[in-house]
Amino acid sequence: MSDPLIASTRSAASGLFAQSSRMRVVSENIANASTTGKTPGADPYQRKTISFQSVMDENAGADLVQVDKISHDETPFETQYMPGNAAADSNGMVKMPNVNMLVELADMREASRSYTANTQVIKQVRELVSMTIDLMRST
Amino acid sequence: MQPLQLFDLAFRQNEWLAQRQSVISQNVANANTPGYKARDVERFEDAMRKAVPMAVTNPDHFSPAGDGLVQARDNDPNQAEVLVSGNDVSLEQEFLKSGEVMRGYSMNTQIMRTFSGMLRSVTKG
Repeated sequence: MSDPLIASTRSAASGLFAQSSRMRVVSENIANASTTGKTPGADPYQRKTISFQSVMDENAGADLVQVDKISHDETPFETQYMPGNAAADSNGMVKMPNVNMLVELADMREASRSYTANTQVIKQVRELVSMTIDLMRST
Repeated sequence: MQPLQLFDLAFRQNEWLAQRQSVISQNVANANTPGYKARDVERFEDAMRKAVPMAVTNPDHFSPAGDGLVQARDNDPNQAEVLVSGNDVSLEQEFLKSGEVMRGYSMNTQIMRTFSGMLRSVTKG
């Protein structure tokens, strides 16, 4: 069995990685919030979603978190009347991406809160380790 | 009387606290994992009772499961709110526990430091 404090750092680091992947997906969605298709009637950018899973890591002896899968949001696209757009169909309607800014911002907040929680754990573990090292220093 | 039992006890508790911190980190890392249930380690008293082996007076006696091991167990389901995703990790609860770990660990290292200072002053004369 490995050292539990090292295992803690590993789980926290896996959490950091998972949350930063989530942040990446959110930023991709926001960046493409108005990316329409190129040909008439083509589908625009489809919102991406991310989900996590818990994985037992034998080496670390701890439950790590991993990105399970990045999939697409199947919410139907809304159409807007934009006759000048390259993706406009014969009626001048353009399919817009199914990205909702409010949802993305909420998701971003949650990701950054979880990220902070994980960095806090790393800080505390480091303090525990330095307490033990200080014990040796004083003797 | 064993003169250095204090060090052993303090060390054991530190080991237990480190294990607890590890479970807390796992909970925090999995705070957004669907279906994940928060866990905690068993109480130190219980773990100690198991670690001190029972006397065997009959060959049919067997030791309790998980002898001397600190095992993670699921949280009390009534304590936390379960989200739609099936996840019941509460970050506030986890940091509260983490604070307890910090306090206990710091106390143990202080005790060890004080006693090693005492031993040192004796040996130095």
